Amino acid sequence: MIEVNGLTRRFKQTLAVDDLTFVVPSGRITGFLGSNGAGKTTTMRLILGLDRPTAGQATVGGRPYRSLERPLTHVGALLDATAVQGGRRAEQHLRWLAASNGLSARRVGGLLDLVGLSDAAGKRIGGFSLGMKQRLGIAAALLGDPGTLLLDEPVNGLDPEGIRWTRQLLRSLAAEGRTVLVSSHLMSEMALTADHLIVIGRGRLLADAPIAELVRPGTSLEDVFMDLVSEGREEAPERDEGARERRGAVQDMRHSGVRGGHGQR
Amino acid sequence: MDTVNAEWIKLRTLRSTWWTMGIAVFVALVLTALGAGAVISRWDPGHAPDQAAMGIVVAVYVGVILAQLPLGMLGVMTISGEHASGMIDATHVATPARSRVLLAKAVVLAGAAVVASLLIAVPGYLYGRVVAAEFNPSALPGEAWPVIAGGTLMIVATTLLGLALGALLRNGAAAMAALMAIILLVPFVARMLPGGEWGNYLLPTYPALQLIGQVPAIMPGWVAFTVLGCWAVIPLGIAALAGRR
Repeated sequence: MIEVNGLTRRFKQTLAVDDLTFVVPSGRITGFLGSNGAGKTTTMRLILGLDRPTAGQATVGGRPYRSLERPLTHVGALLDATAVQGGRRAEQHLRWLAASNGLSARRVGGLLDLVGLSDAAGKRIGGFSLGMKQRLGIAAALLGDPGTLLLDEPVNGLDPEGIRWTRQLLRSLAAEGRTVLVSSHLMSEMALTADHLIVIGRGRLLADAPIAELVRPGTSLEDVFMDLVSEGREEAPERDEGARERRGAVQDMRHSGVRGGHGQR
Repeated sequence: MDTVNAEWIKLRTLRSTWWTMGIAVFVALVLTALGAGAVISRWDPGHAPDQAAMGIVVAVYVGVILAQLPLGMLGVMTISGEHASGMIDATHVATPARSRVLLAKAVVLAGAAVVASLLIAVPGYLYGRVVAAEFNPSALPGEAWPVIAGGTLMIVATTLLGLALGALLRNGAAAMAALMAIILLVPFVARMLPGGEWGNYLLPTYPALQLIGQVPAIMPGWVAFTVLGCWAVIPLGIAALAGRR
C-alpha cells in the first residue's frame, strides 16, 4: 500500500505537487493520470525518496521509502527506461541491481525470459529500442519480487503486442495481491488496464475513483479526463451540452467519494 | 558490502573502465621503462646495491604518477556517467543512502587505483633490476617503502578526488577540468606567484613529488602523507554532505 499525505513539492516559483493526499491499496491496478507536467513523475520521485518533499509525506507499506532495508524487495520502480548506461549488457545491468540489494543473480535469467529479452541478454543496452529498454526496466522492477510496483509510462515505445503483454502482466501482479501504481497519458490504454484512477492536474488531485464510476456508459475516459483537467484549470468553459452532462457525472462522483479539484462548489 | 559488490559489478562491466585502465597502465609502463633505462645508463659504476634499488623504485613511482590523470578520469566517470545517463536514479532507488553509494564507489576505485599502481610498479621494478643487473641492486631497502606508500597514496588520492569532483559537479567535463586544475595547472601557476610555493605545499602534487624524491623535502614525511590523505578524504566528505538532500 502506498500512502501519500499532504505531499507538496515546490521548485522555486512552481508548485509541482500541491497538497496531494491519496492511498493506493493493494490488489488492484491504480492508474495515475495527468497531462504532461501535471506532477506525476515528481510524485513518483517523492514516493521513491529521490526528491525531498517541501511538505507532507509518502510511505510504502507504512514506512518512508528511504527507511526501507533492501528496498527492491519492497518496491519495484520503472521511472525512465532510457536512463541506463548503454555500454552494459542487459544481464549485467540486472546483476548489479540484484547485488545492490543482496539478491541472488539467479533470478536474472528467468526475468529476462519473462520480459522476452532472453535473446538480448548478452547484448549491450545501447543498441536496444525504446520498447526493449521498457522491458528491461520492467524486469529490473520485478527483480526483488516486490509487493509494490511504481511504473511511470511503462508502455511508451512498446508495440501493440508489448502493450497487451504489459497489461496482462500488471493484471496478474495485481491479482497476486500486489500494489500497482501505473502512470500514463494514453487514455485508451488506461481505460483497458486500470481498476481505479487517480487524476492530477497542476500538482493537485482532481479525481480518485474507480474507473467504472468515472467512465459512465456513453462517455470515454478521454472525455472525462479532458473535463477534469479543464476544471482543474478553473477555466470551465461550457462548450456543449455533452460536456455539461459529463461534468454533471463527474460532480455526482465527487459526492460519492471523488475528491474534487477545487472542492468548494 | 552489497553496495560495494554492486559498484564493483558496475565498474567492471563498462568498457570505458578497461580502456582507461589499459591505456593508463600501458603508457605508464612504456614511459617507466624508457625513464628507468635512461636514468640507470647515467649511473656511475660505484653505485651501491642499496642506492641502485632505491634508484629503480624512485624511477618506477615517477612512472606510476603518470597514470594518475587517467585514473582520476575513471573516478570522475564512475559518477558523472551515471548523472549523464540518469542511471543515478536507479542507483539511489536501489540504495537510498547516498553516502553509502559514494563510499562503495570510493572503496572500489581505491582498489582499482592500487591494482593499477602495482601493474605498473611490479613489472617496472623487475625491468629496472634487469637493466641495472651490473649494480647488483638489493631487494627493497627500508627507505623504499615511503616512496612506494607515497606513490600509491598519490594515485589513490587523485582517483578519489576525481570521484568527489564528479559527485559535486555532476558533469564529467567540468569535473575533469577541475581535477586537472588542482593537479597540474594551479601548482604550475602558483610557482610563479610570490609566496605561491606555500600554497603548493598544501596541494596534492608537491607532497606527492616530495615523497617520491622529485622535489626538495621541505616538510616532514608524515606531513606530506597527511596532506595527501586529506585530498583523498576531505573532498569526498564534502561530496557526501552535499549529496544529502
